[in-house]
Amino acid sequence: MRQFLNLLLAGIAFSATALPARAGDLKLEARLIRGANDDKETAKYKPADPELSAKLNRAFKWKNYYEITNKTAGIALNQNCELKMSDACTIRVKYTGASRVEVNCTGHGKEICKGAYTLAPPQWLVLGGNDTADTAWFIGLRAIDNKAADPKKAMSKN
Amino acid sequence: MKDRLELNLELELQAWLDGELSAPKARRIDQKIAGDEEASRLINELQAIKSALAGNEMPRNVPETRAFYWSKIERQIQRQADSPRPVQAPRQTVWRRWLAPLAGFAALACLLLLAVKPHAPSAFDEISSTGEGLEAVTFHDQSAGMTVVWLTDTAPARLIESPDVQTPAAGNSEVEVE
Repeated sequence: MRQFLNLLLAGIAFSATALPARAGDLKLEARLIRGANDDKETAKYKPADPELSAKLNRAFKWKNYYEITNKTAGIALNQNCELKMSDACTIRVKYTGASRVEVNCTGHGKEICKGAYTLAPPQWLVLGGNDTADTAWFIGLRAIDNKAADPKKAMSKN
Repeated sequence: MKDRLELNLELELQAWLDGELSAPKARRIDQKIAGDEEASRLINELQAIKSALAGNEMPRNVPETRAFYWSKIERQIQRQADSPRPVQAPRQTVWRRWLAPLAGFAALACLLLLAVKPHAPSAFDEISSTGEGLEAVTFHDQSAGMTVVWLTDTAPARLIESPDVQTPAAGNSEVEVE
């Protein structure tokens, strides 16, 4: 019984030190994607990641998806991170712990949307809307799993 | 071997003297005593001892009657027969010895799992607010692992500059916020 209590106390002590470690930084990947039917933009923009394009293709009508911006950021717990995705678009992300984020998307200085989401790897959160009459904008957000993801790939500048 | 034979002979002679032998065995001992000088000498000695003890043994008065004394022994035997087997106790002790550390390890494993395993996210999140004149539709594509928040506006948002006027403000970079 004494052995059992000792082990139990050791376990509680270990978990008490391990739990705060879990609530570490969030590695965030943000991409601004353009959806278009026109093929002429192929020369100007680079095609979006095929995996993300395939996901978007399941839900949207556009033929082509182009990557405008690709940024990664490390956000500490309860800290904000502002990412300028284009001249007109900025997102502010706050990491609230346990894979939860608050995202504030601003376009031309005005708030477009604001919400709280769960970013559990490898799930994508995509905010989107019409950009011009025949194009669309998408902001794809994804948490990078430090253990699972290849760090070189996750943090590289595309 | 010789000593053992002599011991057997002595025991047989003692039994013959006490009248505990069967008739055929008793006859064989009779012949032995008659023909063997050593056996004859030994039986004389044993007879002398027996007669000496019979004449000079101290009488002892037992406080309890013979029947009561034996009934006490019988009751004691009965009590021991009825009591639970002492073999069970060591088995329980062995189990307890293993069970306590195992339970400790199990508890530790559970705590580690809770500490290491990522919190299972809720599948659905709702957008809290949108800009003026905007409407949001949220949908989840579970198989694609994607949640989409689609914002509809009466006028296009124009968040992406035209390809011809893209400025270096956008692009690819890495930001670290501590």
